[in-house]
Amino acid sequence: MPEVVDMLSMGFLSDSERELILEVLRRDEELRQAEEQRVRKLKTELLDVKRKGAKRGSGKYSQHSCGRCQEPLSRLSIFSSQCKMCHHHVCRNCQTVLSNGFWLCSVCAKESDLKKRTGDWFYDQRVNRFTTTPGHDLVQVSLKKKLLSNLRETTGEGLLKSAEIITDPPIPVPLPRQKTQIADKGQSSKSSGSVPSKKSLESKEGVQCDTGSAENITIQSSKAETKSGNVTPDQSRKQNRSLQSSPAGSSVSSLTVPVKAAVDSTTSEANTAPEEKLSTEQEVDRLFKKSIRRAPKPTEHVSTLDLRDACDTSKTSMGSRSYSVPGLDVKEDEEEEDDIDSLVSFHKRTLASSSSSLNSSKSTLGSLMSIYSEAGDFDSVDVSGDVVFSIIYDEHTQNLHVFIKECHGLAYADASRQLCNPYVKCYLLPDKSRQSKRKTTIKRNTINPVYKETLKYSISRSQLFTRSLLISVWHHGRLSRNAFLGETEISLDSRDLDTPCEDCVVLMGKTPSAMPASSFAQYKGELVISLKYIPPKKPTTEKTKGKKAATEEGGELHVLIKEAKNLMAMKPGGTSDSFVKGYLYPAKAKTTKKKTPVVKKNLNPHYDHTFVYKDLALEQLKEMCLELTVWDREAMLSNEFLGGVRLSSGKGAVKIGKEEVEMDSVEEESSLWEKMMQYPDSWAEGTLPLRSTMGKSKGK
Amino acid sequence: MTDGDYDYLIKLLALGDSGVGKTTFLYRYTDNKFNPKFITTVGIDFREKRVVYTTSNPNGTTAGKTFKVHLQLWDTAGQERFRSLTTAFFRDAMGFLLMFDLTSQQSFLNVRNWMSQLQANAYCENPDIVLVGNKADLADQREVQEKQAKELADKYRIPYFETSAATGAEVDKAVITLLDLVMKRMEQCVDKPPAESANGTGATKLGDAQPNEKKCAC
Repeated sequence: MPEVVDMLSMGFLSDSERELILEVLRRDEELRQAEEQRVRKLKTELLDVKRKGAKRGSGKYSQHSCGRCQEPLSRLSIFSSQCKMCHHHVCRNCQTVLSNGFWLCSVCAKESDLKKRTGDWFYDQRVNRFTTTPGHDLVQVSLKKKLLSNLRETTGEGLLKSAEIITDPPIPVPLPRQKTQIADKGQSSKSSGSVPSKKSLESKEGVQCDTGSAENITIQSSKAETKSGNVTPDQSRKQNRSLQSSPAGSSVSSLTVPVKAAVDSTTSEANTAPEEKLSTEQEVDRLFKKSIRRAPKPTEHVSTLDLRDACDTSKTSMGSRSYSVPGLDVKEDEEEEDDIDSLVSFHKRTLASSSSSLNSSKSTLGSLMSIYSEAGDFDSVDVSGDVVFSIIYDEHTQNLHVFIKECHGLAYADASRQLCNPYVKCYLLPDKSRQSKRKTTIKRNTINPVYKETLKYSISRSQLFTRSLLISVWHHGRLSRNAFLGETEISLDSRDLDTPCEDCVVLMGKTPSAMPASSFAQYKGELVISLKYIPPKKPTTEKTKGKKAATEEGGELHVLIKEAKNLMAMKPGGTSDSFVKGYLYPAKAKTTKKKTPVVKKNLNPHYDHTFVYKDLALEQLKEMCLELTVWDREAMLSNEFLGGVRLSSGKGAVKIGKEEVEMDSVEEESSLWEKMMQYPDSWAEGTLPLRSTMGKSKGK
Repeated sequence: MTDGDYDYLIKLLALGDSGVGKTTFLYRYTDNKFNPKFITTVGIDFREKRVVYTTSNPNGTTAGKTFKVHLQLWDTAGQERFRSLTTAFFRDAMGFLLMFDLTSQQSFLNVRNWMSQLQANAYCENPDIVLVGNKADLADQREVQEKQAKELADKYRIPYFETSAATGAEVDKAVITLLDLVMKRMEQCVDKPPAESANGTGATKLGDAQPNEKKCAC
């Protein structure tokens, strides 16, 4: 059912998810192929039985002979010897008693047995349902046609087929968390799109012809055979011939296709022109577009994760190369952190801008760098150029279409190397989560990229008036971080969304107005914590949560994460699986990282977990900054940021990574921090409102 | 595993809210192991198991035949964001394990929604379903009473089981019951009672089985 697949979007999946799913589908294919072979064998058997039976429905035969073996029937038996299925009169020997106590002639019995064994009973049932389903508008006709012609096809099969266009079979089995590999895959899947883009244009037809070949045809014909119980001998012989010839031909054809694709992709990986890849992506995008119409919510189309930005960094056009980069071979925990970190940096980005003025793009860009990440660096750029786009609202599908046509005169991300691989990213503000993110493809080595891509948001018109569209242009850094090239914000309330009109808007640096004035503007809930400083050289032992923390030479900072209140719900069912992460700055980023266990399905989670930071002098704490962030745990995906607090004296700046960051603790935060320092050996408890972003303002 | 040495390939599918234990349930069923770790299923997955199925004879006159059945057990993601993907797989399954978490009232309330999803997307309007309340071992956290669940199951005329993937209790029974329903449905679809097909003309075809044939699942 290619149509089903068409309606099915895999676009909302991340590369790693897609790969996992394709892996499942490939396993399914294996099973299906074994099954198909079995079915073929069974159907050949049936034909053998049928050939033996001489009588056909159309033929004129004597009622006094057995319809199967032609033996004469006794007069008495005539009245009780009619097969209920084919209405032939058959002798006792040619009757088969069924489990329900009734009997059928041997052929009909065999046929019905086959119906069961081949699963045809199921596909026949399904046909009934899906051809009669009303309200399938245009799709219905073609769906019906397809179903009848290939009614054994499953969703998995169709999905795999359509995916195989863009993705090659697995090189190694992808481990879910190994991002480098996955990024690689993403890359190779793209390049396997180098199976010419023309092919994906023809998509359905093309695939069917390519992979289906003899197999599909033979299955179809034998299908027709079983459906119409009465076929002419001539016909059946023909079918028989095709059946017999099929095993060799078909299994070869269906098996070779993926293999060939693999070879294709590996060999072509290096020399595939980027344009080609991208256009394939576009095609695929188009292929899946129908689904958007069906989707009830925009959230279903979570297109990509923010971490893809990070992911992208390890992509190179020669996919397999990054395998050998040892630094990219990150362990699981680190991996997860990177995901988080990239998100943090995203949140950071959003705030950073609020303090910067229009022309201070350089300092703004500085804050784009993840402070947690020692990875990549990039040169700040002076924003230049413009973006050409149009926005239209499709009433019929309830979709906002953002057509990104092209950009002109973008800044080089790396001016010295004249390097720029720009892509356009959109958010439908105020939603800055990944649900609202849409991206175009990446154009390589150009400052005048032409995209001609449509980004869609499934949203009701009434909601649009409170939204604005943030269009930003980014340089995709292969091995470094992505660089900001400019943005513009389009408010949708005053815009005519019914007539397509092309706009050319000059790109700007981060606009303060686009962001909330304060990181507390949005209520994110609260965090209840207790802080205690234990001065050094006291030979006491502190019992904290069962853990014995012996005091050593230095003093200790105990941070008891008690609970959070009114967290945002991130999971279906209105819950979140949250945990708290802590960093103490200044310090080498990851050495001070602590985490609580995850508390599941709770918006008011009790963590009751203590972080202990050792070897600290009271004096040091004055210059330090404790960051606690709450996250929604999402296995396999990047965790979702729920809020955070920043505890410090609130004065001065702290060096985090390479940059000086202002300790912008607000009153509640700094007073709790002060209280902790003021009264060593006693708990300072406080309930702190969570910030909606951990963005840092740069110190002077 | 994927050799063709079996008589029937039966495709079942587990569905239900995220975290009710579909994956662990199937893992328990196929491998008889329990993994207490919660790993979200990404979209879809499946497991396989070969079982021997013995036809039960209603009149008990002849001994039941035994068949080798290859079970393909589809596991779906309960998460909303995969919904469009997972529901597309409903149509390929012959029977369904509709699961909820006995320790989560919400997951039980959502059974209703899953039922309508099934009715809309399965191969027919009244496919074979078994209602499964999982995590029965967590008695102290139980939020859904057996009576409640039983009532709902009765309303839908489907069997109900309280299982525990942790202990393995009733897991096999739930799957086997579903398999039995599917096999019976299959029999019914193919070997229609002669009384019914006798009304038809000589052109009666096997495929004419009515999709709406209601079969009492009790």
